[in-house]
Amino acid sequence: MEALNVIWTFFKIGIIAFGGGWSVVGVIKNAVVPMWVDEAQFRALIAIAQSTPGPIALNAATMIGWNHGGFLMAIAATLSVVAFPVFAIAMTTLLANKVSIKKDPLNEALRTGSLAMMLMTLWVLRPVSLDPIMLTFAIGSFVIAAFTKINALWAILGAGAINAALGPLLRSLLGI
Amino acid sequence: MAADTPAMVPPTPWRLFWVFAWINTVTLGGGYAIVPVIGSSLQKRGWVTEDDFWDIFARAQAYPGPSALSTAMLSSIKLCGFWGAVAAFFGVVLPPFLAIILVSSLLTTYGSLPAVKRFLAGAGAVVPGLVAAMVWRTAKRRSWTAPRIVEVVALTMLLILFPALSLPILLGGIVALYVLEGLWKH
Repeated sequence: MEALNVIWTFFKIGIIAFGGGWSVVGVIKNAVVPMWVDEAQFRALIAIAQSTPGPIALNAATMIGWNHGGFLMAIAATLSVVAFPVFAIAMTTLLANKVSIKKDPLNEALRTGSLAMMLMTLWVLRPVSLDPIMLTFAIGSFVIAAFTKINALWAILGAGAINAALGPLLRSLLGI
Repeated sequence: MAADTPAMVPPTPWRLFWVFAWINTVTLGGGYAIVPVIGSSLQKRGWVTEDDFWDIFARAQAYPGPSALSTAMLSSIKLCGFWGAVAAFFGVVLPPFLAIILVSSLLTTYGSLPAVKRFLAGAGAVVPGLVAAMVWRTAKRRSWTAPRIVEVVALTMLLILFPALSLPILLGGIVALYVLEGLWKH
């Protein structure tokens, strides 16, 4: 039954995965934390999903499937999250010219909707600890990703590498 | 004359698979990074014109799911029909799948080492910053009107207050926003 639960959860996520990668992350979080992964694991998982090739929703599904039931579950979760999008593409291609939806209002509606999803994502992933090093990473990555053209990947890998190499030293210097 | 019209390799499902598999192996950074790469590599081969591609991309954004997937599938349907779509699907899905399996297996083995744990904690700490940056960039690009501000705030509140109801809230929300967009125009 657990497998069906994973499949159904990611199928539903696929239906509402609108508007670029980040908007759907909050919906994924609400669906999988704390049932399948904890808060810290989820943040690490998203960082990995963003720094490996491929769409973030797809990568998150593959990873949660893998952690939860190995290779077959990884396949099941991945296929579940793309099932509805692929179905939608197939249906509209078959029905082309038989249904007409006004494209402009739809695109505007989707833009508004995906911005709301992003804001919800920001709320559910707001920094949870006041640890100065972690807060510095969050603020630094915001500045890099918002105001420079540097790929966000470098912020993710950089923060990881700094914390891995210098974390204990920085902590002892700061007395925390 | 031959020099003016270079012999273009025609698209086949197999070639489409390799083009998308390659792009999805080497491009990091999500949909906003990958779509221009898809566009230029299809144009370079003479398979779509620039206008055609942006038209396809505009349609692709109306679909749920990764825009890399919908853009790849819609352009491949146009080029090679059903088998083109199948090829594009596997080209987009397979490389990230294998990459995640590889990384996850490594983490299963090495994830308990203190340095790896610290790496993951540091990498995870940037996530709120990256989301905030994406909100900032998206909000800046949006052409704001008073109704749209109210709509975004209302929908965000609903999503935050009722996390278990994301699916009905968003489906209902998109329909309502679609209708409202039509109303405000008049």
